[in-house]
Parts: sequence; structure tokens; C-alpha cells
Amino acid sequence: MRRLLRNSFLIGMCSLQAHSVLAAGAIEGEVTRQPVNQTAIIMFLIFVVATLFITWRASRATTTSSVFYNAGGQITGAQNGMAIAGDFMSAASFLGITGLMFIGGFDGLILSLGAFGAWPVLMFLFAKRVRNLGSFTFIDVISQRLERNPIRLVTAFSTIVVVVMYLIAQMVGAGKLIQLLFGLPYELALIIVSGLVLGYVAFGGMLATTWVQIIKAILLLTGVTLIAFLLLAKLDFSFSGLLKQATLSHPKGEAILSSGVIFKDPIQILTIQVSMLFGTVGLPHILMRLFTVPDMRQAKLSAYYASLFIGYFYIALLVLGFGAIAFVYNAPEFFDESGSLIGGSNMAAIHIASAVGGDVLTGFMSAVCFATILAVVAGLTLSGAAAISHDVYAEVLKQGEPDPKTELRLTRISVFLIGLAAVLLGIAFQHENVAFIATIPMVVSASVTFPMLLLSLFWGDFTTRGAIWGALVGLTTSIVLIVLGPQVWVSVLGNSEALFPYDYPALFTMPLAFGVMIMVSKLDASARAATDRDNYRALLWRAEFGESAPSGQAGSV
Amino acid sequence: MNVTEAELKQRTRRRFFFTGLHLCLYFSFSLNWTVWGSFLAERLGASHITGSLLMFISLILVFIGLESVFLWLSRQGERS
Repeated sequence: MRRLLRNSFLIGMCSLQAHSVLAAGAIEGEVTRQPVNQTAIIMFLIFVVATLFITWRASRATTTSSVFYNAGGQITGAQNGMAIAGDFMSAASFLGITGLMFIGGFDGLILSLGAFGAWPVLMFLFAKRVRNLGSFTFIDVISQRLERNPIRLVTAFSTIVVVVMYLIAQMVGAGKLIQLLFGLPYELALIIVSGLVLGYVAFGGMLATTWVQIIKAILLLTGVTLIAFLLLAKLDFSFSGLLKQATLSHPKGEAILSSGVIFKDPIQILTIQVSMLFGTVGLPHILMRLFTVPDMRQAKLSAYYASLFIGYFYIALLVLGFGAIAFVYNAPEFFDESGSLIGGSNMAAIHIASAVGGDVLTGFMSAVCFATILAVVAGLTLSGAAAISHDVYAEVLKQGEPDPKTELRLTRISVFLIGLAAVLLGIAFQHENVAFIATIPMVVSASVTFPMLLLSLFWGDFTTRGAIWGALVGLTTSIVLIVLGPQVWVSVLGNSEALFPYDYPALFTMPLAFGVMIMVSKLDASARAATDRDNYRALLWRAEFGESAPSGQAGSV
Repeated sequence: MNVTEAELKQRTRRRFFFTGLHLCLYFSFSLNWTVWGSFLAERLGASHITGSLLMFISLILVFIGLESVFLWLSRQGERS
């Protein structure tokens, strides 16, 4: 009977998960608070003490805006690659992808490849040129050749939209996750997360944030390696044997080894791929990390090392996902009386840690998940604060000549306000379906940041007017189509059928934004457009060679 | 056109070549959800590893390989 219930749970979840788990940011639905997990709390406290010590050390060096925003540009490529991995490998990746594989097997891997595919593009197109042109944020890069004030305001606005939405999804997910893993109340969990992040970012700036992300990445990679090793050891290190065991455990049998259990529509797959890849490339807190290294070569190495670590992570998740099917599905202790997986499908990764490593490994992985949330939220908070204090205050209001002490003070106030907003919004959205909120950052990033960055770096005819119109169209259509899509129109507003069939509209909104940017730029005959076009020559030279163009040469490029 | 201008164009072309190749490979993964990719659902011999799973792992490794080649070419260009 219980097995029958489990089968119906899994089959029912297949349709639900297609909408909810894809929004890579949150634990969805109501969760049941679990008993207090002392092992996890002790391990987490060790992490907190270590990272606060690092923050204290970093705070003594963080005396200028430059050190605050980019750690003084002294992080090596390998360190930065690890920090990027720590910034990007969220709890949603670890828990959400393993959970999706637990339900649908191979189909869950679309999220892994989608997220991984961004790193080579970042390296081929942006790492070097962005590093050579910017100081603290990617907005520095775009505003170099285009009209400074309107471009900074539009891009800072889209950055804040991305950061706030990403933050809400992370905080709601964090509150629910900590309820599940640590047995702490939701509100207390949010206050702890926000308080620690305020400590890291406000006092230690990018330097402390970098080391928090590095430590977290090492812990997460160690954890998934250990689980994968123990899983394979149970089956004489035979990956094929693991797959065989998984097919015997899952109600869909061998169908989980290939596509079609969750997703049927190839267009839906393309929408996910486009949003994940181009959305990730344009995430402001990821791009900001490129400025923490001393030169363009280290920037390229950063992207390369990030690829190595993240690629390894997703291959390890492949083992964990099928391992969860093989060993959790047949273990009654992980299911409740109604036949549901305790904590929902996103807990499959934690249950597999319990199955192969007992309480100690469960505690360790729970602590790692908590650390993961801190690292991601810290990166987001820093990026949001930089958009306010650097891009808006220093560069727009003070025209690039701010009082350094005032700027640093404003940055710390911005960090505090973002932290406060994160707690309040996290509580406000506690009982809401936040899947759509987690979707917005990726789609907006793909439809606004990516086209602006690409065209400003690679197309000489790009103008301010084209950039602004394209960004506004990309931003508006992204939000409208998400509202008309299944995540809001059906799941939140309760309508029976969505007016737009896909969760991720970037497949349509990104080309539209590109089209508007190109068309308006081509038709733009203003005096400013001529300046924008003239600026490209010098910018291209500096982007590629890191130095100004020799007089009379750059014009013909 | 002097050497540096030519080099600038060459570097930009290289960037687009690698990006284009990467995107072709990346989007080829969606074949798994079409009739043209149905052969990928087959198991490899007696093992339970399917063409789809092999494609996933191979793509990750190929992407890292492409980045390695790109880095190597960039370094050669900088040296010369």
C-alpha cells in the first residue's frame, strides 16, 4: 500500500515539478518543521566562526571603495574561479536538480547542462573584455561608450530588479530549507541568514564575500564527492550498476534513463536552455566577480576554473540523482504515512546523504546547504549595494567624483537596507508561490543585460537610444509573458489555462530585445548616436589589448 | 591594415567561432526531446548507460576541452 502511495506521489509530482522546481531558487510549497538537528547546527557554527574570523581580518583591509567592491583586484584566477563556483552553485542547484532527477531521471539534467553552458560563453565573449573595461560593475562597461546617465539608470534598475527578485526567492527558499534541515522557525532562519550576510558584506566587503564563497564551494564539492563515492562504493564502483538499481526502484523503470518523463515539448526545452544560458551569463553578481582579479589573463582563468569546478559538480549530481532514485525510493524511513517523501522531492539529496553516510554526513550536508545560502545571498547583496552606491550615487549623482568616505558609508547603509528588505520580503512572501519570482531574474538577465553587454562590446553601430528602447522592451515583455505564463496565470491567479504556454519566455523576449536594439540603433541619426559610434573604436582596442589605441589606427577597425 | 588591426579582427572572429561552435553543441542536447534524437534513448550494449546520458557527460567534457583550446590559442597569440 505504501509503495502504491509512493508511486502515485512520484507520478503526480512529475507534472507539478515541471513548473515549480525549474524555478531554480526556492523550496516550494508548505514545509513541515523537522526536529532540531544538533549535528548540523554544530557543524554550521564551526563554519560561521571561521567565516566571521575571515571577515574580521578582511574588515581591517576594507578601507576604500575599491577594496570593498573588488577586493582590491588581488584575487587570483583559481581563487576567483572557486569563488564564482561558490557564488553560482546554489542550494537550489544541489537540492532542486537532485530532486528533479529523483522524480524524472534524465529530464532533470536539462537544468544542469543549461546552467553549465553559460561558462564557456562567459569566457569566449566577455571575461577579458569586461575585465579590461570595467572597474566595479558591468554597468561601467556599457556606460563607457554610451551616454552615461540614462544608461546607468536603466541598467542599475534592471540590476536591482534581478537582485531583489533573486534575493526574495533565495530568502523564501532559505527559510523553508532551514526549517527542514535544522528545525528552526522560519522567521528566525531569515534573521540569522540576513544578520550573518550583513556582517560579511558590510564589514568585509568583496574580500570577505570571496572567502565565504571559496570555503562554501570547497565544502559543497567535498560533500557531493563523498556522497558520490559512497554511493558508487555500494555497487562496486559500477555506474551502470547504479543506473540498473535506479531503474528497478523507479515506477517509470528504464524510461528514466532518457528524455520524456517530465518534459515532452522540445520548444519548452529550448526555452529553458536559452533562459539558463544567457540568463546566467548576464547575472550582475557573477559579472562583478570578474573585477576582483588583477588582469585580463586572470579573468579568463577565472571563467575556466569556474567551468572546471561547476562541470565536476554537475557530473557528481548525475551520480547523486540516480543514487537517490536507487537508494531512497526503496527506504520506507524517508517517506511519511501518506507515502510522500519527507520534506518533499527537494530533500532527496539530503536523504541520500543519510542513506550512505548516516547522521554525520546528513549534518554536514545540511550545514553546507546553510553555508551555500549565505554565500549566494552575500554575493547578491554586494551586487545590489554596488548598483545603488557606485552606479547611481557615485557615477550618476556625483558624476564620477564622489567623496570616497561618503560612498563607502552609503554602500554599507545600502547593504543594511537590502538585508532588512530581504527579511521583510522573505516574511511577506512566506506563503506565496515564489516560482515565478525565481524565474524573473534569469529571463530579465537574458533579455536585458546580455543583449546590452554583447552589442556594446561587439557592434560599432550600437547607440544609447537603441540600448534604452531594447532594454525597456526586454524588461517589459519578460515580466508580461511571465505573468501570462503558467507560473502566475495558473498557479498564482488560479486560471485554468495559461495565455502564454511557457515558464521561461527568454526564447522570445531575448531576440525581441536584440531586434529593437538593432533596429532603433540603425535608425538613430542623433548627434549622440554619432558619438556612441565614434566611441566604439577606442573601446574595442582597450577591451582587447587593455590599453588605449594608438592615434590614427583604431578608426579603421 | 597593420598587424595589430588584423590581430584584433582575428581575435574577434575566434571569439565568435568558439561561441558559435559551443552554442551548436549546447542546443544539440534538445535533440533528446525530438524524434531525430530517439536513437539516443538506446542503451550502449549490455550496460544501462544510454546515448542520452553519454551525450550529457560528453558535452560537459567537450565544453571544457573547447575552453582549454581557446585559452591555449589566446596564450599563443599573446606570446607572438
